[in-house]
Amino acid sequence: MNASSGGEVRLTGISKTYGSFTAVHPLDLTVPQGSFFALLGASGCGKTTTLRMIAGLERPTSGTVLLGDKEVTGLPPYKRPVNTVFQNYALFPHLDIYENVAFGLRRRGVKSVKKQVDEMLELVQLGGFARRKPQQLSGGQQQRVAVARALINHPQVLLLDEPLGALDLKLRRQMQLELKRIQTEVGITFVHVTHDQEEAMTMADTVAVMNAGRVEQLGAPADLYENPASTFVANFLGQSNLIEAEITGKSGGDLLLKVGDGRLALPAERCSARSTEVGTRVLAGVRPEKITLAHADDTDAIDDGRNRMNGTIVDSSFIGVSTQYVVSTPACPELAVFEQNVERDHRLIPGAPVVLHWNPAHTFGLDAGQDIEAGTADLEADQ
Amino acid sequence: MTAVAQAPAPVKPADPERSPAARRRRRVPYLLLFPGLAWLLIFFVAPMIYQASTSVQTGSLEKGFKVTWHFATYTDALTEYYPHFLRSVLYAGSATALCLLIGYPLAYTIAFRAGRWRNVLLVLVIAPFFTSFLIRTLAWKTILSDGGPVVSGLDTLGLLDLTSSIGLTEGHRVLATPLAVVCGLTYNFLPFMILPLYTSLERIDPRLHEASGDLYAKPLTTFRKVTFPLSMPGVVAGTLLTFIPATGDYINAELLGTTNQKMVGNVIQSQFLRVLDYPTAAALSFILMAVILVMVTLYIRKAGTEELV
Repeated sequence: MNASSGGEVRLTGISKTYGSFTAVHPLDLTVPQGSFFALLGASGCGKTTTLRMIAGLERPTSGTVLLGDKEVTGLPPYKRPVNTVFQNYALFPHLDIYENVAFGLRRRGVKSVKKQVDEMLELVQLGGFARRKPQQLSGGQQQRVAVARALINHPQVLLLDEPLGALDLKLRRQMQLELKRIQTEVGITFVHVTHDQEEAMTMADTVAVMNAGRVEQLGAPADLYENPASTFVANFLGQSNLIEAEITGKSGGDLLLKVGDGRLALPAERCSARSTEVGTRVLAGVRPEKITLAHADDTDAIDDGRNRMNGTIVDSSFIGVSTQYVVSTPACPELAVFEQNVERDHRLIPGAPVVLHWNPAHTFGLDAGQDIEAGTADLEADQ
Repeated sequence: MTAVAQAPAPVKPADPERSPAARRRRRVPYLLLFPGLAWLLIFFVAPMIYQASTSVQTGSLEKGFKVTWHFATYTDALTEYYPHFLRSVLYAGSATALCLLIGYPLAYTIAFRAGRWRNVLLVLVIAPFFTSFLIRTLAWKTILSDGGPVVSGLDTLGLLDLTSSIGLTEGHRVLATPLAVVCGLTYNFLPFMILPLYTSLERIDPRLHEASGDLYAKPLTTFRKVTFPLSMPGVVAGTLLTFIPATGDYINAELLGTTNQKMVGNVIQSQFLRVLDYPTAAALSFILMAVILVMVTLYIRKAGTEELV
């Protein structure tokens, strides 16, 4: 089987309902051949169900699954050229590592498996562990066995269901790089399900953010981060300051916004609100690290073209590389600001009057008809 | 400070092995074991020794028995009653195989497919225990009675011709044939097969089935390569719990068979209670125990469950 052909996954109108509960609303998704694709979302958002429908472990209520040009919607798992790395690995406890890895080859009637198994164990750096039983290995090693057991079959698509969920933080970071290395090496399409936004952004070329059975937004990690299209994405991926604002006019390519008693500029092409008419209410967003803090006494030094807001520092916490401030402004009671600790201004302490300013190009606009808190509570629940 | 200086010898209070609390803690396991050990000593070890001594005695009921180290009782008993031993092993073996064949699909269904009916089905499995062993076996006498619906049904289907041609039944009856005894044994020991099987099947992570399917195993292959090997502890436990008591059973042969179906249990019972030849009865008991021990040891070696259980 050639791994470099037919690795494209195309889901068309695929959905899954259990009784009256809809786990996945009809969705269309194309995972390009050879890409590292992440399905990101909080638990219960339908990402694992979507993955299981690709694997054949779940029968879709509607829609079709295509692998390459071949429709596999009705095929049982054992007839699909995909393999899965299960959550908690699902290694066979009665077989040793060697036989676990050889399992797929043996089922397909491959006679001499030794060379391939040895090579695969080398790839995941477990050469000396062939005759151990799974329960004699650490979590990280078991995880690598699970990857080897799936990859040895040269699947057209490798599905990973929260593969790093059971590992501790340090090991997880290490395995993220390891998986990314393996993916680059073998060039197989990876579809990775995770609730960890950092993990998704580190590893994947393309991330689909899922919420309540729907894909909220799809794109490259940097693109999703810089241009979130919904409050859910803005809050779930990293942290965002969302400020309620009203469009008051236009100037060049910018929309002019009224925020409390202040004014902000927002590039028109970065506003995803349904209407940009004067008088429309929108949410102006800006990432905490894009904002610069200046003490109120230094207001004159700020360039004219920048967005600014007045406020008072409520809280500050020093976390090494940066300091995180919470600033209260008339328009928004709690704005988060991250300042790199390059030159620390010792006047910036709780209670100090400050001016927040940032490049207008870093502002994004969202439709005001959404829940401004969407994505924040989920994030806390998961961490 | 002076108090420390005047201490006569350096005591090491930090030594955890010597502190009274530690000593008390070490006594706890023995205290917990005591009731069980005492019970075994009085009701198992003591009778065993008594029986062992009986088996090498000679004498008669009138003159009394004396230990004369007469080991010939063993060889005599074996020579005379070896057909009963063979029959016991054969009947118990057949019943165990039948129990496995009937019990495995049942346990499998309860463990993986029963959903919310699981507990109801488990209660049904042990429901026969609410009636006494004797009454249940007597009921089988009615079920298998000559001319009853079961027997005439089997006869109409021509199955009785088949079973009688291989010596399982005789003519147009089931009662008082080997088949009846094996059926009774199978029925009576079935729950002892199902419960351990269910326990070991239920412990299997359903994701292992998914993983196996994901790795190109068809459902039947998944069963052969994953489910069955993982249920081996249950298979071993179930077969032992069925085979051991079935080998020594005499009720089924007594009620459902004739003298031609007597098992070793029946011989021991009659030697003890009717013939009153205590040494032979004791010797037979010990031979039976040895036979079972050897067979079980070989079986466990073969099944290789040391790592699984």
